[in-house]
Amino acid sequence: MRRAARGDRDAFGALVASHQSAVFRLARALTSSEAMAEDVLQEAFVAAWRHADGFKGDSSVRTWLLAIARNKAARVQRPRAGEPTSTVPLEHLGADAGWGTDPSPEQAAALGERRDALLEAMESLSEADRAVLVLRDMEGLSGPEAAALLDVGLSALKTRLHRARLRLMAALRRGGRSDQ
Amino acid sequence: MTSDPKEAGVAHDREVGGIRCLEVLDHLADLLDGRLDAATREQIEAHLRDCNWCERFGGAYASTVADIRKLLADPEPLDEAVQERLSRRLREALEVHR
Ligand SMILES: [Zn+2]
Repeated sequence: MRRAARGDRDAFGALVASHQSAVFRLARALTSSEAMAEDVLQEAFVAAWRHADGFKGDSSVRTWLLAIARNKAARVQRPRAGEPTSTVPLEHLGADAGWGTDPSPEQAAALGERRDALLEAMESLSEADRAVLVLRDMEGLSGPEAAALLDVGLSALKTRLHRARLRLMAALRRGGRSDQ
Repeated sequence: MTSDPKEAGVAHDREVGGIRCLEVLDHLADLLDGRLDAATREQIEAHLRDCNWCERFGGAYASTVADIRKLLADPEPLDEAVQERLSRRLREALEVHR
């Protein structure tokens, strides 16, 4: 990273190679189209190259790159007009996720199928829900890191993560049920 | 007046071990992260021992999170065309001296 900051193109190339897919995954989560995500991917790395000397080393390089991508995404992704501001009561989210309902027959899915089902369920979530799941559960960022990156308070982040997981569980149940 | 809340059309919620199901649901993420104070954790553990609804749902929640962490940890490699366009864009940008 230090070499990339000094303008070493090979070092920067290696950095791109090791983090590009993670940056693209977050960009996909945060934007509503593949094309937008690709713009975010490209512009994030261009910005990283131009401002590599701004990397302070108080986070991992990966976290720093993800933060740049998040800022780029915030510019291209217009905030959804009419996004509901009211919050669904927790018990409703829970009920959709299977809380207090009869257990659905356990389908012993192969790992590959389970993975595909999770990816499909992710697609059905909002950008905000996807982003928090990517950062906390997939990238493994800490709560404070993810909160800083998404520019929300820690307790809002925790609530969002919990609710995103419940919505994901609900989507998994729906997916399982509508399966042919 | 012991009506089954499920028959009443709402999600279950009862007090077991000194804590209600809805509070347990609210605390699941912190429980999983090991971030609860000892007193709350003990209450929830007592609840989970005696409330089969929450025991089952808590297990499903934990295993979903474990699956996400295990199966989706590694991002998919970039599509070749996306990769190619990224390289081209970066070659252009790196030409220009910063
Ligand atoms: Zn319960």
